[in-house]
Amino acid sequence: MESQIELQSEDIQGKANAKLVRFIGDLDATNVETVIEKTFNLLNDGYVNIIADFEKLRYVNSTGLGILLHFSKSAKEKGGSFKIANVNENVYEIIEIIGATSLLEIYDELDEALESLG
Amino acid sequence: MPGKGRRYLMSESKPQKVKIRFPGDLEYIPAVRKFVAELLLVNQFSSKCAYRSEIIIDEICNNAVVYGCRTADSQVEVVCVMHEDRIEFQVKDAGGSETDLKRLRDAVAAEESGVKPILDGRKSAAGLGLEIVRLLSEEVNVEVDDNNLTSIRVIRRREDAGTCGEKKAV
Amino acid sequence: MADIRDIRIECKQSDVCPEVAVVTFEGALDSGSIQKIGHSFDVMLEDNYIYAVADMARVTLVSSAALGELMGCRTRLLERGGDLVLAGLSIGIREKLTAMDANKVFKFFNDVRSAVNAYNWEYHDRSESLNLSFPSKLTFVPPVRQLASRIAKQKGYGNRDSFRIETIVDEICNNAVEHGVEGDENTIELLLTIDRKKIEIKVMNTSDPGKINALKEISKSLFVPHILSDEVKRGRGLALVKMLANDFNIECSDVGTCVHVTKLREE
Repeated sequence: MESQIELQSEDIQGKANAKLVRFIGDLDATNVETVIEKTFNLLNDGYVNIIADFEKLRYVNSTGLGILLHFSKSAKEKGGSFKIANVNENVYEIIEIIGATSLLEIYDELDEALESLG
Repeated sequence: MPGKGRRYLMSESKPQKVKIRFPGDLEYIPAVRKFVAELLLVNQFSSKCAYRSEIIIDEICNNAVVYGCRTADSQVEVVCVMHEDRIEFQVKDAGGSETDLKRLRDAVAAEESGVKPILDGRKSAAGLGLEIVRLLSEEVNVEVDDNNLTSIRVIRRREDAGTCGEKKAV
Repeated sequence: MADIRDIRIECKQSDVCPEVAVVTFEGALDSGSIQKIGHSFDVMLEDNYIYAVADMARVTLVSSAALGELMGCRTRLLERGGDLVLAGLSIGIREKLTAMDANKVFKFFNDVRSAVNAYNWEYHDRSESLNLSFPSKLTFVPPVRQLASRIAKQKGYGNRDSFRIETIVDEICNNAVEHGVEGDENTIELLLTIDRKKIEIKVMNTSDPGKINALKEISKSLFVPHILSDEVKRGRGLALVKMLANDFNIECSDVGTCVHVTKLREE
């Protein structure tokens, strides 16, 4: 069994190739499988632009960060993007500590991330 | 106990020590890290301190399980000692190969250059975790004891140390 | 067992579980490897292994043809009551396999050891133990009981069972603090032993000479049928534990107290 994480995906109005994915819980080594499966399924189904809402993501460790970086890379390779919004202070600190703020597209607010889709 | 050039407050109350030994399997780590965080909260450490400690324990235990647990019955031991002004963690495992030990020592001995680690694809996830531990801690030491157990000892100061009577609420 | 040269497939018996075969693949698994993959499983079946863990840590590529062959091998094992699981997948390989819906067919594990442990858990009632020692103070009890609950849930116990386990741990630990010697230097020891069917909880503490007689009286009363009423001032916690548990034992002496509880998994 794994640490609790839930991903809820929603359509984004006016963007056929994009999805809003809400991350809820903790992201660590025990549940990357769930996250990989759901996110890669979206990418492979043509939803190459993903907005990840981290408002309810309480915790992420280095394994989780590695996965997020991989999503970002995979989305770009498919001509899309992986954008993150509403990162809490604690999670942001960890991303900042390892220097990933320049590698991930992070927005303060969800609206900003949605607008950046153009 | 104080590290190079660092001074810690002399504590009046006795340190509180908790020890946990669990099977060397990743699935135990979420419960253990949350336990450590909650221990700190009930002992009047700040929520920020508890969160950072949770990260430290997570990363070190992940490392211990992946590299230091070779048999089905391998266990990991975590000792948490809460002082007035700091927390000490010690995580022990049965130990991996010589290569793993060297990798561990190299990861925690990296010089503090003030430059954030660069993620250029060459750093493995394992190295990243220990790098985070190093950056969140005042001291990190790797030891191998007489029983060939590898242990990582971490000291992290309490954020609000020195603010008597103004400890952050749980 | 077989060591098939030139294709980097190695089959061997698991170090920790003799009936599990570990099949280590190295390199690119493509259409050219199909025959060799199939042959390695032929040999494994001839040696009467029906449960296999595929160590994919050194695999660089998996084509759809090779995946199809692995699925076929798994079917052969399933027909014999066994299974084939995949371990040690890199993120890139996982991504590819997920795109091919392999995650809907195979169980993925972080490494071979986790896979073998899962097998032992499921098929051999493997038990796992967790030891904890903490100061004899009430403030430590909530994190301890939540740890027990989370461990139970992690190991597949349902919400109701996990809640009852949390209650049991809470009450026993509270009792240990209340009736034991308090203070920074005194510790309570908790041992949790869990398997697929039950959890055993053992709590040990140092006795307080001034309180031990009261505890002995409570302990005796637990085994005498009676109705808990307003007149019963003490002992409700342990009485509750006795009601929730399937087996309950308490040993009090002037030196220490040990409460040992077994709770069967119901969900």
